[in-house]
Amino acid sequence: MDAYALGLLTNVGLLGFLALSAYVMLLAGEMSFGQQAFFGVGAYAGGMLTAMAGWPLPLAAVAAMAAGALAALAVALPTLRLRGLYFAMATLAAAEMARIGFELLQWQVDRDGEPVGPDGTQGFRGIRWVFESGLAPEAWTALVWSLLAAVLALAALAERSRLGATLRAVGEDPGLAAVLGLDVDRFKLGVIAAAGALAALGGVLFAHHNTYIEPRNFDIMLGVHSLAYALIGGLGTAFGPLIGVVLDVGLLEGTRVFHGYRMVAFGGLVALLLVLRPRGLLDETAVRWIGRRFS
Amino acid sequence: MLADLLQNTLDGLAAGASYALVALGFTLIFGVLRRANLSFGAAIMLGCYAAAAVSQQRPGLGLVALAAITVLVSVLAGAYVERLCFAPHRRGSAVAAMVASFALWMHLEEIAVLLLPRHVVGFPPLYEGEPIVLAGLAIRVESLVALGTAGAICALLAGLLYRTRFGISVRAVIASPLAAEIAGIRTGRIFFLVFALASAIGGLAGFLVAATDAQITPMMGMWFTLKGLIAMMLGGLGSLPGAVMGALALGLIEAHSQWFLGPQLRDFLVYLLLFLLLAAAPKWMRTHSAS
Repeated sequence: MDAYALGLLTNVGLLGFLALSAYVMLLAGEMSFGQQAFFGVGAYAGGMLTAMAGWPLPLAAVAAMAAGALAALAVALPTLRLRGLYFAMATLAAAEMARIGFELLQWQVDRDGEPVGPDGTQGFRGIRWVFESGLAPEAWTALVWSLLAAVLALAALAERSRLGATLRAVGEDPGLAAVLGLDVDRFKLGVIAAAGALAALGGVLFAHHNTYIEPRNFDIMLGVHSLAYALIGGLGTAFGPLIGVVLDVGLLEGTRVFHGYRMVAFGGLVALLLVLRPRGLLDETAVRWIGRRFS
Repeated sequence: MLADLLQNTLDGLAAGASYALVALGFTLIFGVLRRANLSFGAAIMLGCYAAAAVSQQRPGLGLVALAAITVLVSVLAGAYVERLCFAPHRRGSAVAAMVASFALWMHLEEIAVLLLPRHVVGFPPLYEGEPIVLAGLAIRVESLVALGTAGAICALLAGLLYRTRFGISVRAVIASPLAAEIAGIRTGRIFFLVFALASAIGGLAGFLVAATDAQITPMMGMWFTLKGLIAMMLGGLGSLPGAVMGALALGLIEAHSQWFLGPQLRDFLVYLLLFLLLAAAPKWMRTHSAS
């Protein structure tokens, strides 16, 4: 496999985490325009821990996930009772504040005679843990995808359990769920924290894959893209968001068929697809149908 | 110091006048559809790019003709968005409509950039003379045009909505689409016409901003969408006078905070204010239920 294909494959995996995070939010009935902020928090926190503090990546990843979950809770606590566009705009405002925060973040330490750390709008260079630990590119891609596979397996298990049913109930009709005795607010906060951690995990891996991050990486476009991935893939299964990413990054960018016209083609296709399938390719009906075939 | 404050206030009001037109467009669409049209800014951008492309071919073309082209192409793009993103999802999911309109944002923006692929494209300037100096304040002629246009559009829109049969139908649909339909109003047609009207107002705002800056960039679609959305939210989602107030407030806050804090903190402050307002959710911000 050549370097380009390998990089593409890794990128699909990295964006998969973010799309999955947006998908979980959608299932809980919340449209977030701000998951990119937690991706960014994960990238910055993880990058600072390995490159500046010298932590090993696994430990830094866990810490970054905790940071992502905490950041998501900090946004969600004051905005939990907002609905629809109000919630979407509140998350957008929070995410843009985070992005400007990254632009203002200037903190560099000396490592081996070179300054390392976030340098405001100039970005954050030298997140070289993967390179320094001697991991081969193939091994790195495999690591990203095994982590994603593990998360997807967990999500698939959760969807078949009581947890998945609860999540969909809360998303469909929070009032009814509350009548059934569910603590809707606490449940939603848990889901939002998990979605934040998931996005942060993607961010940590993104930072270490690229070795360089800058505030612009985490702008509103990334957030709305992840929402689009989650929806076009389908709201029926956790594999849906991945299909969305594969469609955009894999098919259109990878094959270069629509070179120069990629966004024209992708945008039109998505709008048309949603006319035919408003809950995405693999919606609940499709998933049930497939499930019957193979059971 | 006082002169600076006055000058900032003046500049802020002028910026707010353009924001007001965009926010009015957003609010009209949100009022009838209860959906945010994320591709609104991109449709305006396509209008501006089309006008710039025409003026490159025909350099002698007057500003009125360019304004007409901008408005016309914005309306066509808006109608396209309505048919593809909002008409099919009228009774369905708000998320699907919003994601579809986001997809068309990418789509329209890319078409505009393919039309004129340079990073910064020149646009015929609205006015080439010096600003008028009055009591130590520099008053830009472009600002006066923007304020005058916004005022005229507000007056025309108020007349249209409160004095005509079409206006009654629109207000009926805003109050309750179902009741309007039962009363015999063809709601689908109203949705489409309101969309076209909103796009025309947006196109006019696009022309004013492009001709004031004398340039257009690929970033302008996102700029229009964000400013319009923020102004609409600040003014209480779904209220037309609120949208104008929100837009003027946004312009003033930006002008003053840019002066005192610089551009980064200016944006931060605007988002912080929006977040705090939403979190506090005062009564005037909840004029409509947003599902």
